Amino acid sequence: MAMLQPPPPEMTVGRQGHYAGVVSRLVAFGVDIGALWGLYTLGIYAVSLAIQLIGGKSVALSRHQIAGLITLVVWSFVYFAYQWALSGKTIGMALLGLQVVQANGDPIRVRQAITRTLVLPLSVAFLGLGLLMALVQKERRALHDLIAGTAVVYAWDARAARLRWLAQKDPVAPSTRAAIAPPLSGPT
Amino acid sequence: MSPNPLSDRFERLAQAIAERVVNLVIDAIDINAVVERVDLDQLIGKVDINQLVAKVDIEQLIERVDVDALIQSVDVDALVRRVNLNAIVSQLDIDSLVEQTELGSIIAKSTTGVLTQVLDLVRSQGVGLDDFVARWTNRILHRKSATLPIGPPMLVARPAPAALPAAGHTEVR
Repeated sequence: MAMLQPPPPEMTVGRQGHYAGVVSRLVAFGVDIGALWGLYTLGIYAVSLAIQLIGGKSVALSRHQIAGLITLVVWSFVYFAYQWALSGKTIGMALLGLQVVQANGDPIRVRQAITRTLVLPLSVAFLGLGLLMALVQKERRALHDLIAGTAVVYAWDARAARLRWLAQKDPVAPSTRAAIAPPLSGPT
Repeated sequence: MSPNPLSDRFERLAQAIAERVVNLVIDAIDINAVVERVDLDQLIGKVDINQLVAKVDIEQLIERVDVDALIQSVDVDALVRRVNLNAIVSQLDIDSLVEQTELGSIIAKSTTGVLTQVLDLVRSQGVGLDDFVARWTNRILHRKSATLPIGPPMLVARPAPAALPAAGHTEVR
C-alpha cells in the first residue's frame, strides 16, 4: 500500500516526549469510547449467553438498566485506570502514538491514573470544555491533566516514520537502477 | 717488490696490543656513569631533526613494520569508546542516505508492514492537524510558539529516543 501524501515537514525531527496536540488526543479519546462501548456490549452479550446456556432461560437486558449502567460505569473506570496505570496508554492512545506521563515527564503513578480517571467526566462535561482546555493551555494539558498532575506526550517516533516513507518512495538509487537495467535508447 | 716479514710481524703485534688495550679500557669504563654525565637535552637540541628525517627511507621503514602485530596490540574497544559517534551521526544526511541507497529498500522490507503504514499515516496526519490547530490558536491568542514549552522537562532535556519511559516499566505503588 502506498501512502498518498508524505508525512509533513515537521516530521524531520523526532516528536517523542513533546506535548501532544488536541486533535490527536480527541481522536484517541473517540477510539477509546468506541473500544469501551464495543467491549462492554460484547461482555454483556457473553454474560447473557452464558446465563441462558447454564440457566436455560433468556435474560432481557432492558429490564436491568440500572445494573447495566452501574456495570458500564465500573467498566469505564477499569478500562481507563488500569491501562493508564499499566503503561500510560489506552488502546486509542496506543493507536495514535500518545502516552500519559507525570507533569515532569516521569512515568505516571497508580494514584494519578485513578485520579485522572475519576475527574475525566469533569473534562467531558459542559460540552467538553475541560478537554478543550488543552487547546489554550501552554502545556496542552486538559482539566483532568491539571487536577491529576499529568500531561500527554507523543510516544511514537515521527522521524522513523518519515524514513520509512522515504524508503518506500524510492528505495533504490537512480545510479544503481541504471547499472542494473540500462535504459533503452534508439530504435530496436 | 717483496713484503718485509719483520714489518708485518711488528704490525700484527701492534694490532694485537691495541685491541687488548682498547678492550681493557672499555671494560674499565662505567658506561652508565658516562651517560649520566651527558646532557641529552643539549645534545638533542643540536640535532637537526628535519635533516635526520629527510634521510630516513620511510617506505623501507614501513615495509619492516609488522602491521598485523601492531593492530593486534591496539585496544580497539578503548579506541571506539573515545570516538564521539553521536557527533559523526549528526553530520549524516539520513534522508538522502535512505533515498539514494539500497538502505531504503532494506528498511522498507524489514520494518514496513501494512499496519505500520496505516499507523504512520494516521499518526502523521494527526500531528499535522495538531500543529495546524496550534498555529492558529497561538495566532489568535497572540502567542509565540517558540516561547511555549515543547514537552515535560524530564523528556525534552534528554535525547528524544531514549527519553520516554518504557511501557510496562511504570512505577506501581
